[in-house]
Amino acid sequence: MELENKKLTMDEFLKTREEVLKTWSTGEQVADLEKNIEYARSIPKSKNFALKLKKAKHNQITLTQPRAGVALVENHIGLLRYLSEEGEADLLPTTIDSYTRLNRYENCELGLEESRRNGRSMLNGFPVVNHGVFGARKVQENLDKPVQARHGTPDARLMSEIIHAAGWTSNEGGGISYNIPYSKDAPLDKTIKDWQYCDRLAAIYEENGVPINREPFGPLTGTLVPPSMSNAVAIIEALLAAEQGVKHITVGYGQCGNQLQDIAAIKALEQLTEYSLEKFGYKNRIITTVFHQWMGGFPKDEAKAYAAISNASVTAALARVTKVIVKTPHEAFGIPTKEANANGLKCTKMVLNLMADQKSYMSKKLKEQLNIIKEETECILDAVFDAGKGDMANGVVEAFKRGILDIPFAPSKHNANKILPARDAYGAVRYLDSGNVPLTKELKSYNRYMLEKRAIVQKRPVDFQMTVDDIFAISEGRLVGKPDFSKR
Amino acid sequence: MNSKTIVIGVIGADVHAVGNKIIDYALTQAGFKVVNIGVLSTQEDFINAAIETNADAIFVSSLYGHGELDCQGLREKCDEAGLENIILYVGGNIVVGKQDFKEVEERFKKLGFNRAYAPGVKIETGIEDIKLDLNIDK
Repeated sequence: MELENKKLTMDEFLKTREEVLKTWSTGEQVADLEKNIEYARSIPKSKNFALKLKKAKHNQITLTQPRAGVALVENHIGLLRYLSEEGEADLLPTTIDSYTRLNRYENCELGLEESRRNGRSMLNGFPVVNHGVFGARKVQENLDKPVQARHGTPDARLMSEIIHAAGWTSNEGGGISYNIPYSKDAPLDKTIKDWQYCDRLAAIYEENGVPINREPFGPLTGTLVPPSMSNAVAIIEALLAAEQGVKHITVGYGQCGNQLQDIAAIKALEQLTEYSLEKFGYKNRIITTVFHQWMGGFPKDEAKAYAAISNASVTAALARVTKVIVKTPHEAFGIPTKEANANGLKCTKMVLNLMADQKSYMSKKLKEQLNIIKEETECILDAVFDAGKGDMANGVVEAFKRGILDIPFAPSKHNANKILPARDAYGAVRYLDSGNVPLTKELKSYNRYMLEKRAIVQKRPVDFQMTVDDIFAISEGRLVGKPDFSKR
Repeated sequence: MNSKTIVIGVIGADVHAVGNKIIDYALTQAGFKVVNIGVLSTQEDFINAAIETNADAIFVSSLYGHGELDCQGLREKCDEAGLENIILYVGGNIVVGKQDFKEVEERFKKLGFNRAYAPGVKIETGIEDIKLDLNIDK
C-alpha cells in the first residue's frame, strides 16, 4: 500500500487489523470490533475524555493531568485514585512503559515478574498490551474520571485497539511525534501509516457514538525546540488525523520558558490549526490545547522544582490552554512517588485557581512574537506540502529527508540534525542555525539578531556552547545559560 | 587528543538523546576519541563497538528507570568477550524514582561498574574521573 494522506477504506482497515491482532496473545480478546464499541458506549459520559475537554474549552477553564503508570493493575489503580483524590487531577493518564512502546512484550513479562517479586514497579509504566483489554477495563471501571494512554510508541496499533476497547477515550501520539523523538530507525512512511490506522480506529468509535480524543505529542524532544517547528509538526498531525475522520483533537506545546513567547506560541498553534483544518476542508472539529510544563532538566531541590512548576502554571493560565500536563518535585530523579506527583498537581491547581479570573492582554510585543511564530510555521508547512507534491503524508517523509522538518536532539536517523536552537537574551528560543528549514531571509536575520544581542550582553560568541549552557540552565537555577569561562 | 577511546550510548529501550549528544560533545572537546552508538543500544552493541575500536572505557547512560534491568550481566558479557579490564561507568537516572543513592551505587558496583553517577551529575565529573582511572595527565 502506497503512502497517501487519504482515509483508509474499511477493507484496508480490516485487512491490516487481522495482522495487528496477531502480534501478541491479548490481541484476540479484542477481535470483535462491534462488541468493543458497544462496551465503550456503556461507559458513563462523565468518563469521556473528549467531552470533558470540550466542556472545559467552552467554560474557559484549564484542567490538570499528571503522568503516571506502574507495572501491576491493582497498584496502578491505587496510584491513579490517589492522584485523582489527593492530587485533585481533572484528567487521568496511563503512562505506558518503554518496552511496550517498542512492542517488546516478552520483556514486559519479565518486568511484570520482577515487579511482583521485588514488591516495587520495575517497569516505568503500565504494560497495557500484556494486561490486555480485561486489565485495562478494570482501570477505567475503578476510576470516575477519563483515562488517556500516554506513551511514545511508533507502532501503537494493537495498544490503541486495546485501550479504546477498554473504554479509554483518549490516545496521545502521531506518526511524527511518536517516531522522530522516540525511535532510532523506524521508517517515517511506516509510522505515518500505523498512526493513520490509530486515527481511523478512533474515528470509527466516534462514528459509532463514542467520542474519542486524539492528541499529537507537542513537545517532541522537549529540549529547546523552536515553537514554529513543534507547531508545524502538531498542525500536520492534526491534519493527518482529521483526514481519517478524527473529530476531537488536542494540539500541544511544551513550555520554552519565555512567557511572552510561550503565550504567543499557544495562540499561534490554536489559530493556525483551526485555519489549516478549515483550509483543507475539515469542518466541525473540536480543537483544544495542551501545555506541557518544562520538559527539560529540572532542579533537584524540591522548592526550586515547585517554583518551576508554578511558573509554568502561570503561563498555562494566561494562555488559556484547555489542559496542562504537570511535572513533579521529583522530576530531576525520574519517576516520582505518588505523594510527589500529587503535590505537583496541587501546586499547579492552586496557581490556576489564583489566575483563573485574570487575563493576558494582546500587547504590541505579544502580537510581534505571535506573527513571527506564525510566519515561520507557515514557511515550514508550505514547504512540506510542496515537498509532497500536494500530499501532506508524503510531504513529511520528503521534508525530513531534506531537513525542512528537523527536530533538535532527536535520536532518529531520519532526522537531519542540522538545526541548532539557543535562547536569546530574554530566554526565548531562536534558531541559532536553521539548517535547511526554509525560513525567509528576514526571519533568519531576526533569529540571528536576537542571538547576537545575547552574545553582546554575555560577552561571548554565538555558538553551540550557548545551546549546551541553555540545556542545563533551568536545572541550575536560571533560564538563559551563562558562560563558564573558568572551564576554558 | 589523548588517544583514549570511549564508547558511549544509551542502554535498553531508552530513547533519551539529549544527554548523549552533550556527552559526545564534551568528551570530544576533552580530547577523547568518542564512539557514540546512540540510543536504544543493547549490551551487545556496546561490547561490539568496544571490541571493534579497542576502547578503554564504556560509558552507559540510562534515563528512563529500567537501567537496573538493562545493566544486569554487562560485566560478565564483557569478560566473556575478552574485555576483562575495560572500565565501565553508568549514569543518568539509573533506577525507578528517587532512591537512596548510596544503595543504588552499591547495587551497580556489585553489577561490575567501576563508577555509578547520581542524577544530575554533569559529564565534567565523569571526565575528571576517567582521566584519573586511565592515568591521563591533566
